[in-house]
Amino acid sequence: MEALTLARIQFAANISFHILFPTITIALGWVLLFFKLRFNATGDGKWMDAYRFWVKVFALSFALGVVSGITMSFQFGTNWPGFMEKVGNVAGPLLAYEVMTAFFLEATFLGIMLFGWRRVPGWVHTTATVLVAFGTTMSAFWILVLNSWMQTPAGFELRDGVVHATDWWAIVFTPSMPYRLTHMLIASGLTCAFLIAGISAFRWLRGDRAPAVAAALRTAVVMAAVLAPVQAFVGDQHGLNTLEHQPAKVAAMEGHWHTGGNVPLILFAIPDEATRSNRFEVSIPHGASLILTHSLDGVVPGLDQFEGKHPPVAPVFFAFRIMVGVGVLMIGFGLLGAWFLWRRGALPTLLLRGFVAMTFAGWVATLAGWYVTEIGRQPWLVTGVLTTAEAVGPVPAGAVASTLVMYLVLYVLLLVAYIATLFRLAAKGHVVEHLPGNQPLPASA
Amino acid sequence: MTPFLPADDLALVFAALMAISVLAYVVLDGFDLGVGLLMPAVPEERDRDRMVASIGPFWDANETWLVLGVGLLLVAFPTAHGMVLTALYLPVALMLAGLILRGVAFEFRAKAATPVHKRRWDHAFIGGSALAALTQGWMLGRYVLGFAEGFGALLFAALSALGVAAAYAFIGACWLIWRTEGDLQKRAVAWARRTLWVVAAGIVGVSVATPLASARIMARWFEMPNLLLLAPLPLATFALIAGLAALLRHMPLPGDALRRLPFWVAVGLFCLSFAGLAWSFFPYIVPERLTLFQAASAPESLTIILVGAAFVLPVILAYTVLAWRVFGGKAMDLRYD
Repeated sequence: MEALTLARIQFAANISFHILFPTITIALGWVLLFFKLRFNATGDGKWMDAYRFWVKVFALSFALGVVSGITMSFQFGTNWPGFMEKVGNVAGPLLAYEVMTAFFLEATFLGIMLFGWRRVPGWVHTTATVLVAFGTTMSAFWILVLNSWMQTPAGFELRDGVVHATDWWAIVFTPSMPYRLTHMLIASGLTCAFLIAGISAFRWLRGDRAPAVAAALRTAVVMAAVLAPVQAFVGDQHGLNTLEHQPAKVAAMEGHWHTGGNVPLILFAIPDEATRSNRFEVSIPHGASLILTHSLDGVVPGLDQFEGKHPPVAPVFFAFRIMVGVGVLMIGFGLLGAWFLWRRGALPTLLLRGFVAMTFAGWVATLAGWYVTEIGRQPWLVTGVLTTAEAVGPVPAGAVASTLVMYLVLYVLLLVAYIATLFRLAAKGHVVEHLPGNQPLPASA
Repeated sequence: MTPFLPADDLALVFAALMAISVLAYVVLDGFDLGVGLLMPAVPEERDRDRMVASIGPFWDANETWLVLGVGLLLVAFPTAHGMVLTALYLPVALMLAGLILRGVAFEFRAKAATPVHKRRWDHAFIGGSALAALTQGWMLGRYVLGFAEGFGALLFAALSALGVAAAYAFIGACWLIWRTEGDLQKRAVAWARRTLWVVAAGIVGVSVATPLASARIMARWFEMPNLLLLAPLPLATFALIAGLAALLRHMPLPGDALRRLPFWVAVGLFCLSFAGLAWSFFPYIVPERLTLFQAASAPESLTIILVGAAFVLPVILAYTVLAWRVFGGKAMDLRYD
């Protein structure tokens, strides 16, 4: 394989591995704060037990996020030197602000959050939790700002072939940023909700009926029931925004080869790039016109308008269907779970098993969603400004291949260890919640 | 944003910020990695747990200085960033693998199901620390000689790898003198005494090799009046080494007096060595190839970062001090799992 392909696979592998962990920690930070505040307000020890259990998951996920994130900051230089040379004047400050306003905040106060129990008063510990949650969200904000700028760049001019910033307001608030940020934050909320629900259901099914387990499960199910339908709406709005600014991406997502009206909504097909058509197509007449233009005969741009300049169709098309499919499942599980909690006060065994199976559903949907938007931007790295091929470095294919193998081995090993550790923590959850060194000072101290 | 500093001054400010970040990283993660390097000398699980507990609350934030240093290189000197990182592609990848293994081992070793698994993550912790320390030393050696090829240059890089690993073990041992007690502390004193001499040899080695390799560096140090003006640098280094060697012979002192001093002397030695290298290479950012003035980004972009940094860096320093105060004193038996 050539160096460009290998460099892309390597970066994709790294960024895919990385996003798994922030996707958990962004929302889990706020859930931990919720547990802590409930404890402060009610004095009920179950909330503190839930905190003690989930802060360990947070620490583990955070460590994996940190080490894979550091790897990424280096790969900008090792794999894509052309990126910073061309758009460094915009990307640089955004990345610098992420490190300065988010990274240090999270990393420093995480120590107090994890080990500060007996050393600081309760309110300092609560504040540390707020700052860590705020830090993870700020981190997401800056990264989503940069990614959105790469998708729909604005506020710059080209001088001697190099991007120069002209309007920072426009750079931060690009047309796609509010949609992408909201979509991602809710995705994190859902990932976290299904993780907590899955692990708590696992504990419940094993006979661990501690009040903390029920409290965490209830919190997670309510989160899922609220966020999943909202995400469907936000995702739709994000899609309409993409149609306006990156129509080629939407054409690939929908598998539309030809521009026209009365466009059907394709449920399944196998896009064939060679014949520029779909095989085995199953579709709903007028569906896409209705969704994308809100009228039955609305004209939707097809891939024929972007020949030679559109992304590879099949991966974007399938990734989109996986994301939507998992999203629909999430809505079903969330609403069903909430209904049972409301009517019966508990979940039936079958549904609990279902939640265990859905433990990592958020990961699948988040990864699929990022594949849609990142592959969907190709051949551009920064839309209309820089192609991916132009940014690749001079490192020979052999070197990239050998480090790629190293990273892949490491990531598979760590992922297996992570999932195994999660379920082992769950299996001895009641012990974890009551470790002697982990008792907090009273909130008033 | 309209720049309020001339472009060359901005480049200087950012070079200084980057130098501070790299120095902070080398000192802070230096002692973390050093503790990892020393772990094989400690067979008892309880002592190993204490060693890990002594750095547990700090390592995340310590490693962030690396991200800031590389980030500033990336942001302020993008051309140099591409040049340096592609030249060091393989050692960077290995260092990252080392940092990944070391970082996750903190969590996994504490949450391990069986003692056998815990030992395995101990190996990952030790191996990861060693890999990161050695590759960082290797990269320093390659960088110092301007990425020169040939057997001599590679031998120098290999010696530099060992030297940096020894320096990290040294500052790690000084950290443990401060943060542990009893038998473990006594052993830390012994490690510090042994590694101090390797560090001294390393400093002398680099100080001799760099002027010999470059006539420009030779002139910077040995022409008048530089020779006199710079004399305090080597003299202070010598005084710190001799003084610390004398102190370590008597440690631990009654009442654990001066327990912090070896660590801060080690920090002083790191700073002096760093200052020496900085003087040798200024104004080059890629030795003998690219100056920091040639490599700097557009002034508008640097200005907006500088404004942010002026507000944020003092805050970072303040809460770093807070965290150090919260976790001052001897390492306790932190329950990590």
